[in-house]
Amino acid sequence: MPGAYPGQVVRVHSEKSLDTSTDRADRAAVKQMLAAGMKSLTGDADERDAWRRFISPQDVVGIKVNCSGAPKICSAPEVVGGIAENLVAIGVPASNIWVYERFENQVRTVPYAEFLPAGAHIWTAESTRGAILGYDPKVYVETSFFGEDDTRSNVVKLITDRLTKIINVPNTKEHQASGVTGCLKNIAYGSFSNVARSHQREVTNTKTFIGVLAATEPVRSRTVLIIMDGLRGVWHQGPFSNDAKFRFYPKVLLFGTDPVAMDRKLIDIIEEKRKAEGAVTIFERSRSTLGDNHDPNFNAFIREPGHVEHAGKLGLGVYDAARIQQRVVEL
Amino acid sequence: MLLLVAAVLPRLFWDAGPETAPALRKAGIERIAVPAAQASAWKGVAGIETATADPQRAIRLVTPSVNYRANQATASRSPWINTNGWRFLRQPDGLFLYDVKGPQAALAAAEAFSYGANALIRTDAEGLGPLGDMLKLLRAVSADDLAPVADIGYLDDGTATSGEVMNLMVKSNLLFRPVRAPDRSLKINVKLGTKEYPLEFAKNPSRIAQMARANLTDDRRSVRVYGTSVVVARLTGAPGKLRVQLLNYDAAQRRVEGLRVRVLGEYKKAVVIPEMPTLDWVNQGGGTEFTLAELKTYAVVDLSK
Repeated sequence: MPGAYPGQVVRVHSEKSLDTSTDRADRAAVKQMLAAGMKSLTGDADERDAWRRFISPQDVVGIKVNCSGAPKICSAPEVVGGIAENLVAIGVPASNIWVYERFENQVRTVPYAEFLPAGAHIWTAESTRGAILGYDPKVYVETSFFGEDDTRSNVVKLITDRLTKIINVPNTKEHQASGVTGCLKNIAYGSFSNVARSHQREVTNTKTFIGVLAATEPVRSRTVLIIMDGLRGVWHQGPFSNDAKFRFYPKVLLFGTDPVAMDRKLIDIIEEKRKAEGAVTIFERSRSTLGDNHDPNFNAFIREPGHVEHAGKLGLGVYDAARIQQRVVEL
Repeated sequence: MLLLVAAVLPRLFWDAGPETAPALRKAGIERIAVPAAQASAWKGVAGIETATADPQRAIRLVTPSVNYRANQATASRSPWINTNGWRFLRQPDGLFLYDVKGPQAALAAAEAFSYGANALIRTDAEGLGPLGDMLKLLRAVSADDLAPVADIGYLDDGTATSGEVMNLMVKSNLLFRPVRAPDRSLKINVKLGTKEYPLEFAKNPSRIAQMARANLTDDRRSVRVYGTSVVVARLTGAPGKLRVQLLNYDAAQRRVEGLRVRVLGEYKKAVVIPEMPTLDWVNQGGGTEFTLAELKTYAVVDLSK
């Protein structure tokens, strides 16, 4: 990161991609969106050529999904299955495809297996919450936020042991602590252990920690492609989705390699929706807005959407909106 | 002078009559303490060695356990561990009494054993099996003639505040030894009411513990435990040897699925009881690190060079 296309974002919208009355995604429409997005991002006429720019048949590919809001909001199995299908089409053996996430109890609520080619793996770091055996004991970021005794956050072992490439598949969600949870948060907090320690009471250290984790090798260099699943979204109380009234349906997929530029666009999506709903901005820092977040004008934390800009300063991508090129594809 | 710790097995304190001897034998309990009034009745009961004890003279202990404080915790806040280590360290010659139920009897036995404390354990019928199993495990641990390892000298003034500071240091795996005067052989000394540790700060004892940690620095800590917030480590050692005893204070609820231990000193070999391999062994930066795949209630890791 920021990879081959710094400062570039492709936004593909398809009204057919999701039936909001049934909450069902249209697999064929998603497939079209994936093809259009990859071709637009790379400029290739052939979809397979576009995928080959990032992945070779010898690669062992991790697909980093987001299941923190599952089953209602997660990296949609139609999107994840579509990505895997494209990988197989360019010669990646299904057995070299690993869909991964941290928590098994979240992932098992999502029917990924039905959408993946036979032989592909679904892997979680923590079969029991807090278990550390799924993390690499030798690769970690060490820091203390609130005097906690365990000061290490270790990287997912699958990444260091097996994966040669990672495709990051976040959602379009507001986040109570970090403001938004998109490309950066999904690859950072979703690939390291012991990260919830960065929040305490209304204070969260996500502003700096997310970028530091995302910039840690080998996560940084192995994450070669990002496909943000915005078929569904959450504009408040994220990353969870316990209350249907805070869900919305952008019906978009965003493509890129620059997590900062893409998350900058995510901020726009969330802010636009919140404004339409009459909710305060995610950049609000007044303590008077701390409180019961059943009301979208209140929140448990002072949010830190500045983590996106901070990640830009770490060299992970382009934050300046004027320097971000977004191409929009309407299907 | 270093205090040497002898391996002392805690005893079941049992006020029922000898008709219960079969239940004790079935649980594998071979030594008990009984009230004086029961002594004659138990005399000569086969397979049970009996001593008398007066629980009124014993210092009462809390049930070793974890309180997750779910009603006030955020996801990241460490749970509250109920430990007795500081009491053992403050009164090493004391007689102690646990009143514990069910599986917590096992942790009580392990806790007392790891500190070499003279402890009685009063438990219910459900606690006999877990206690017997733990005593069997502890009998397999070789006698420990090693000296307790400490990084911090704590000038214990005997107050409740000092007790709480020591309690917090035990929970945080900050290894200390109560001292009467600063001990220059230790890495730091902590005395309340000094410029470094003002009394006004002691209104929040955790602040004192954190200040001690900051002054010691994590790099100089003799032990670190990663991957769990419910495990307390106890270290004893001699040149070339180190014993690490690990206590899972949440054992009554769940085992710890993996924990990583770092100790100072480059050790090459480990023997673990209960028997299990050490994983991902690393000697680096003057320290040794290893992972244990699980910790049920108690484990001892004997390291050697």
